[in-house]
Amino acid sequence: MNQSNSRRRFLQSATALIALPAMESFGLRHAALAAAQAAPPKRALFLGFGWGVTEESWYPDISRTGADYELPAGLKPLARHKADFSVVQGLWNKYSNEGHWGSTMWLTGANRYAEPGQSFHNSVSVDQVAAAELGLKTRFASLQLNASESAGGSGHGPGLSLAWDVRGKPLGGQNNPLEAYHRLFSKDTTPIEQQKAMLAEKRSVLDTVLDNARTLRRGLGKNDAAKLDEYFEGIRDIETRLGKDEQWLGVPQPKTALKEPKPGQTGYEEIQLMYDLIVAAIRTDSTRVLTYRQPVSTLLTSLDIKVHPHDMSHYHTVRGEKLDASQRRDEAQSELLAGLIDRLKAAKEADGTSLLDHTALVFGSNIRTGHSLDNCPTIIAGRAAGFKLGQNLAVSKGTPLCNLWLGMLHGLGVNAERHGDSTQPLTQVFA
Amino acid sequence: MSRTPTLLILLAVVATAHAPVAAAEAPQADGSRDAAPRAVVPEKHRALFATHCLKCHNGEMQEGKFRVDDLPATIADLETAERWQKVLNALNSGEMPPPDEPQPPKEAKADLLDDLAGAMVAARKALGDRHGQITMRRLNRREYRGTLRELLGVEISVSELPADAGTGGFDTVGSNLFMSSDQFEQYLALGREALDEAFERQAAAAEERKLRYEAEETLVRIKKFYADNLDASERAERWIKAVEAAAARPENAAVVAEIRKTAKDEAIFRRSWTQIAGAPAPEEFGFQTGENNADKANRAANYAGSYNKPYHEYYLRQPSLETGAYLTIGVGNDLNSHLPLLVPFGWPVGDYIVRIRAAAAGNQVPRERRFLEFGIHPRHGQVLSTHEITASIDSPQTIEIPLTLTRKHGERDNRTLFVREKGTADHFTQTRAKFDQGKRQNGLGPELALWIDWIEIERLPTADKTLPPGLAAMGVTLAGSLDEKGPTPTAAELREAIERFAREAFRGAMPPASYVDKLLGLYDTRRRAGDKHAAALKQTLAVVLASPMFLYLAEPAADDGPRDLTPLELAVRLAYFLRGAPPDARLRELAERGELAKPAVLAAETERLLDDPRSVGFSRAFVYQWLQLDRLDFFEINRQMYPRFDDSTKLAARDEVYETFERLLRENGSLGDLLKADYVVVNGVLANYYGLEGVHGDAFRRVALPAGSPRGGLLGMAAVHVMGGNGEHTSPVERGAWVLRKLLNDPPPPAPANVPQIARLAGKLLTTRERLSAHQEEPQCASCHRKIDPIGFGLENFDAAGLWRTEDTYQLTDAAGRPDPKAKKTWKIEAASRFHNGPAFGDFFEMRELIAGRSDDFARGFSEACIEYALGRPCGFSDEPLVESMVGRARAKGLALREFVQALVASREFHTK
Repeated sequence: MNQSNSRRRFLQSATALIALPAMESFGLRHAALAAAQAAPPKRALFLGFGWGVTEESWYPDISRTGADYELPAGLKPLARHKADFSVVQGLWNKYSNEGHWGSTMWLTGANRYAEPGQSFHNSVSVDQVAAAELGLKTRFASLQLNASESAGGSGHGPGLSLAWDVRGKPLGGQNNPLEAYHRLFSKDTTPIEQQKAMLAEKRSVLDTVLDNARTLRRGLGKNDAAKLDEYFEGIRDIETRLGKDEQWLGVPQPKTALKEPKPGQTGYEEIQLMYDLIVAAIRTDSTRVLTYRQPVSTLLTSLDIKVHPHDMSHYHTVRGEKLDASQRRDEAQSELLAGLIDRLKAAKEADGTSLLDHTALVFGSNIRTGHSLDNCPTIIAGRAAGFKLGQNLAVSKGTPLCNLWLGMLHGLGVNAERHGDSTQPLTQVFA
Repeated sequence: MSRTPTLLILLAVVATAHAPVAAAEAPQADGSRDAAPRAVVPEKHRALFATHCLKCHNGEMQEGKFRVDDLPATIADLETAERWQKVLNALNSGEMPPPDEPQPPKEAKADLLDDLAGAMVAARKALGDRHGQITMRRLNRREYRGTLRELLGVEISVSELPADAGTGGFDTVGSNLFMSSDQFEQYLALGREALDEAFERQAAAAEERKLRYEAEETLVRIKKFYADNLDASERAERWIKAVEAAAARPENAAVVAEIRKTAKDEAIFRRSWTQIAGAPAPEEFGFQTGENNADKANRAANYAGSYNKPYHEYYLRQPSLETGAYLTIGVGNDLNSHLPLLVPFGWPVGDYIVRIRAAAAGNQVPRERRFLEFGIHPRHGQVLSTHEITASIDSPQTIEIPLTLTRKHGERDNRTLFVREKGTADHFTQTRAKFDQGKRQNGLGPELALWIDWIEIERLPTADKTLPPGLAAMGVTLAGSLDEKGPTPTAAELREAIERFAREAFRGAMPPASYVDKLLGLYDTRRRAGDKHAAALKQTLAVVLASPMFLYLAEPAADDGPRDLTPLELAVRLAYFLRGAPPDARLRELAERGELAKPAVLAAETERLLDDPRSVGFSRAFVYQWLQLDRLDFFEINRQMYPRFDDSTKLAARDEVYETFERLLRENGSLGDLLKADYVVVNGVLANYYGLEGVHGDAFRRVALPAGSPRGGLLGMAAVHVMGGNGEHTSPVERGAWVLRKLLNDPPPPAPANVPQIARLAGKLLTTRERLSAHQEEPQCASCHRKIDPIGFGLENFDAAGLWRTEDTYQLTDAAGRPDPKAKKTWKIEAASRFHNGPAFGDFFEMRELIAGRSDDFARGFSEACIEYALGRPCGFSDEPLVESMVGRARAKGLALREFVQALVASREFHTK
């Protein structure tokens, strides 16, 4: 069995089935330069917001699908971009069962009871599947941005960000604009010598197990040796990763026109700042995969809304100020999103196309409204993955959200065979 | 080798096919070494091809660039196989013959499809036969866990490692077990975790702890909760009166009228109190929360008239509240829907015992409600064990449950133990249904069924126990490694400790000096970076646990043909087969003395391993995969339809399969008992579920069945029937296919792709049999379903939760997805049918008799599964003699279970790489 085949078969055992691309040679020092000359790279951006939306004023009329639909009040602020995004209705994660978890399984589609005897299980999130390939050439394989507040107040559920690693463990990230700014644009303050020593120690661990592997390899027949080669390949992958760390060691951080954010900005302004940083991160090609778990609780505060966010999400019976808060939240979120799209359109690549042309953006939540987990609110934008844009799209009820993730991965050139509970790529929403 | 990938892909499709197939020929007459029968498309189908295919697909026309005139009837190579596959696909999809051409007779087409599919399965199996080649493998997930358990005496959660069984086949098959960089890092982390756990356990070996929680302590909380609710409702009433008084003032008439226009009820009306001059704020009445306090007051006012209040009062009237507590069924009434016990945070990891003193609340408590569930993590916790309560409050019983506390139990939630009544917290809809049912009966809520006196937890010291071998290997350095105050070892002591640990981890193989040097180098690096001895040592040993000689079960062999295993390799193979763990000291000693391979010694050791309780490492892992018990978790049982099949019952149903097999293994019973038996192996939960009287308690035991019982053997087990359904309805197809695969060793070919779906019956009110009769209309369906469906019909008396029934119902749903009461059909189940080309049966019992008569087929399938599991490679045609010898030897002893194992362990194959 040749190596690439054995690798591919290994990967079939992982949660996301990924057919492996041809091994690329690694010209990291030249990556930035090469990127400027080649076609602009593709990026993925996921914005998640907990607590859901106001169902009666956020979703476009389901009976008027296609391009000729009217934007409901909750989406009105996006009117100037109507041709550049679509609303998808009917998607859900069938295993989700927690009415307060708007983000935990949003990008994973996992069954929390999949592990017998365990009360919580999650699996890899779609951004991390994308990052495994799109992240090879950038300083950061992916960025996980978060809100400064506790996740409970915003209805996100367990997790440290929207992202979960290949083992289904939560991935942390930057919890406010200042942290994100430093991560992206400030010099790493760990002394280079110490960084080098840490890398060297990791290398000697690899060296030790390789010594053991070589002992074991003696006397093995062809077939068994091919099996052990998987181990060698695994070690080589880690070496490659360490190599990447080494390559970036001491490489100066990119410059940005953005000023360092003031600490302590929350809510509306915080989201706006994070959106600026997202655009800057894409522009400097610091990363190509980003998630942002947005605040809801502080957003309400910054809008001068006194209703408790959880209370707001249960506007259905009493309506009143809760409904009002819910609708104002929708409008604010749409305004902010419209602003982000403005900036992604305005920022140009070397070839004159816009960043939006090379980004696939999804905006949504695992919660529809209240504790309802079906028909997850979903907005798609950007041209990187081949989304069908400018439409009100209805898919049949109960379609896995993971079908969208799978189609998106394919659109981004990531050749996954499935993701979460996907059954097939959601071809309907791709042009 | 260049074709291997294609072949593997083809083979993957038929990973579960074990059986020889009708279309396979006898061994070749030319006496060639290859005993594999060839796959042949029978001659009798030639006429059909001549009439319906050759006109277009001949040498001249080659319509669609495809010809069948030169297709060999014998499928001897991959190219021929691929061409026949195309024919099969075209026939299955209905693409060929084209619709405007004459079609072959249905029966003839079904026969052709049947034979062709069978020949393809045979071809793939023959072409894919690896002739006994075993691929080296790494430890799979459960073996890795078992190995750390033996080596270090710890329980480690391995759920973070990738699952091994995703590719079909057993988790021991080396060619399916992969490795990646991510996994390597995980092994490093898990190894470190296991070492931390082991050192922590050892450091606390002598510690004793004990805590008893008296259940009556809950009474204070409940009384306070009740009083608080009364108080809040009284305050809310006063607020309401004040708002109403303000609203009644004439000057407020206009604004009140305005509010009333939109307020649909009084509570909504009162939310607008700010607009009513003189109306007081709810905050003035003590409602001070972050959310809308008018809503809070409105809700508090409801308490007086709610279902909660009378239920709280009912609880507080119970007679034995001063000495214990009753378990309630919780729907937010804050009584004792469970009783929690937090293991104090300072208590060390180790072995504990939990004791619960409990009783039934009265003599009239029905049996269904006399079961206690135990678990960890009350909010999300799944049941870990279920216990039957037979005692009364004047003389309670004490339950003992062993518990291992690990470093994972670090947070409040997973340090909190709980007990609750069985089936009351699986799902909130079920909890609600049980509460409402009780309320309908007495106007209050469920009668109280279980009473708890106290819960106790005690740590068991292990100081006097033998050290696990990995720790014993530390020798004199152990004490100093557990405690920073101990002596730091000398360089020589350290080297010896690391070397001995590695040898123990490598199952007796000596670590090379260069490797030990490098490990010592890592240790030094860590010390220089500032680590203390213990931390540096654990980090170093963790690297051993991520090294290939630990992770791989290697049997080095050149490519020039099979060789005998070394004695140590034989010990390793035997231990991982029958224990899922490395060989113990005795096995290794016998191997080192060169005695293990002696037939009498090996047979005796096999018996010893099977007698050992750790043989569950074989029985559970094997049975789970062999019978595909994973299907039990595919669907959630619909609890509205099957309220009795709760999580405890599911647990017991799963265990019935294991316990029955383990009993046979323990007592060397007959494999045939799995096809039919006059007994069951059940515990109290399952006896109650099956309606067997007089069987009480938590241990599984053999219970003789009354005459005429449908229970006994796999076909009488609830688990098997639940797997053959979707949680709501039975699936005769799933069940029939399972019986063919697992019991009759005649697996149907893999379901073909692209067969046109039969849609015309959708939305029609039909019985299951009427619905499935559509399978007989299309030859593409009939070719397999004529074998599958009749067996499924014979099992229709078992409902989707495995209980016996005589009637079935089908109900259509309306446009909104709700059951339509007008479109409902109920019918009496007709189980009578006929095996395809075989005997007829009048009911389930006759069918079971016929299946039990085919115990030889069953034994063959079982043998093939054992071979694959034990040797870690697919069972091929070249294994026929081995299968024959296993079945033959067992048959001579009435299919005694251990005979299969002994025959396999004694075989040449088991001793050869």
